[in-house]
Amino acid sequence: MSSIHLKGLTKHFGSFQAIKQMDLDVHDGEFLALLGPSGCGKSTTMNIIAGMEGATTGRVLFGERDVSDVPMTRRGVGFVFQNYAIFTHMSVRANLAYGLKVRGVPKPEIDKRVAAIADFLQLAPFLDRPSAKLSVNILQRLAIGRSAIVQPAIFLLDEPLSNVDAAFRAVMRTELKHLQRQFKQTMVYVTHDQLEAMTMADRIAVMDHGVLQQVGTPLDVYNNPANVFVARFIGSPGMNLLPASLRETDGNIVADLGAAGVSRPLPRGAAKAAYAQGIQDVWFGFRPEELSLAADSQGIAASVTFIERIGSRTVVHFDAGQAAGKAVFQNDVPLHAGGAAHMVPADAAVRLFDRSTGRAIGEA
Amino acid sequence: MRRPIAFEVFRYAAIALAVAITLVPIAWMTSMAFKPTAEWQATGANLTWWPKSPTLDNFRFIFGQSSTALIVALERTAAKPILSSLLSAGFGTLIAMGAGTAAAYGLSRFKAGGNLPLALLQLRLFPPMAVMIPVMVMWTFLKLNDTWFGLALIYGIVTLPFAFWLMKTFFDDFPREIEEAALVEGCSRFRVFLKVTLPMMAAPLASSALFVFILNWSDYLIALLLTNREWATIPVYMASLSSSMTGQLYGAKAALGLIAAVPPVIAGIAIQRHLVRGLTFGALKQ
Repeated sequence: MSSIHLKGLTKHFGSFQAIKQMDLDVHDGEFLALLGPSGCGKSTTMNIIAGMEGATTGRVLFGERDVSDVPMTRRGVGFVFQNYAIFTHMSVRANLAYGLKVRGVPKPEIDKRVAAIADFLQLAPFLDRPSAKLSVNILQRLAIGRSAIVQPAIFLLDEPLSNVDAAFRAVMRTELKHLQRQFKQTMVYVTHDQLEAMTMADRIAVMDHGVLQQVGTPLDVYNNPANVFVARFIGSPGMNLLPASLRETDGNIVADLGAAGVSRPLPRGAAKAAYAQGIQDVWFGFRPEELSLAADSQGIAASVTFIERIGSRTVVHFDAGQAAGKAVFQNDVPLHAGGAAHMVPADAAVRLFDRSTGRAIGEA
Repeated sequence: MRRPIAFEVFRYAAIALAVAITLVPIAWMTSMAFKPTAEWQATGANLTWWPKSPTLDNFRFIFGQSSTALIVALERTAAKPILSSLLSAGFGTLIAMGAGTAAAYGLSRFKAGGNLPLALLQLRLFPPMAVMIPVMVMWTFLKLNDTWFGLALIYGIVTLPFAFWLMKTFFDDFPREIEEAALVEGCSRFRVFLKVTLPMMAAPLASSALFVFILNWSDYLIALLLTNREWATIPVYMASLSSSMTGQLYGAKAALGLIAAVPPVIAGIAIQRHLVRGLTFGALKQ
């Protein structure tokens, strides 16, 4: 078992800064998802943990041990690649046995463990097939099995589910979580799919443009995004952010949304603190799911631009003067495109972000 | 997609024409190899495509049986030149592929060597004649003149850039993740190269080797300069198949040409299933 610590990590490719400055601790036995859009530096971070790339500056520690200068062949991590990297000239069995063979494990032990992992990942029927002609779903399980079989203390997965179909992805999410519970590895899972991150991870590390934006439990990241990027990125659709200015009326702080109206009194200490600090220009944020319809002349006045019916829910696209947003309602919501809507976000769901820095104005 | 009939007709006609142009000389050589002296010497209206009285005389002749019709006996048979060609082209290919593959791998993976790849390419811009005379002198000093291994060595050197560039392209296209997957398991770089990369590169290796072999096998100039007697290769020996009385011995040349065509064809058939895949290796997405 092993924890992972990244200290002051940076990575430059020529003049391009893939990772600007990164400190991250992954606890022993934790399932951490590295989440971010393409090109945010998450795969680079992973390659540095595995030793495939060297960091420009900074250290990588496994537990107490500094592995920054240890080559990838001796770091002893398991790595599952996005394109599986199966040895197509070998059978499924030989692929699974590969890591054990390299480590000089005796043959009977190899056979035993290959049988066990094949059973666990439902690969048993394919063991003696050549691996060149397997379906993507099987290749994917084989890739996981090949790395998992040596029971590495640290298991790194680079978008392992991005090429498989949706149904199988759902199955694998459960199986991967199950696998991790069973072997209790420290798992780092790179993905751009927030659903994977939310469902599997103990904690999520959100990255953008080579900078770690927020690290927290899935609910924490969802409920209390640290900044505007995380607020928009997490959630589907992401958080609504309307430009607003804070002002005081009758001893309460309210957010003035311009043409869209004025918010209800902001109940939170944070708003008062922000106001006291002189922060007036804010983003008024709330989740699309936290809206409810209000009587005319109350709440946020908006015009409905588009209605998306996705079955159980209906997504309403609206224009609130200076900004557009989305609301998620029950599928029978009595709104129609071109009409007007008055909506109120739940008080507890309102989040404020400093418009000059993009940072959340904390609850403190 | 369904194409118009006229297009299909034209397509097949074009293919047929191309095949015919390619095959006619080979067919003519084959025919001539089995013709008796009177027939291959015939001209004008007496020329036939099909030998009227097919014979193996031409083959017997180059392997040492004197021909009454020609009243010439060969000083040397074709056996030694065939052996010489096989040894020099074979080992030359081994040298070029061995060194070329290793160099290509190193340069492809570690970006070491700076301008070496381009320097190797420049080697090919020299007309061979420009360097062959100095090489001849060197080889004489090294006592490599007129030996099959001396010839194999220079073949290896001359075709090394081809082997290197072909293999470098293939290595550049080989997915790094596959090697990294083996490396993170603790496999050494050398073992990864031998046990993972090379076996998965069987197709490109085979097609490159065949290409290099054919280059070596059909060389005339270098062999002419470096092997004057003992280890003359097939092309050099073929040029000597003539006499002052009869002129060029076309029947014998055709027979030898037919024999010379055999090794590349056999090699080609043997690796046929790799050939197409090898030549299109980079074009396929992993």
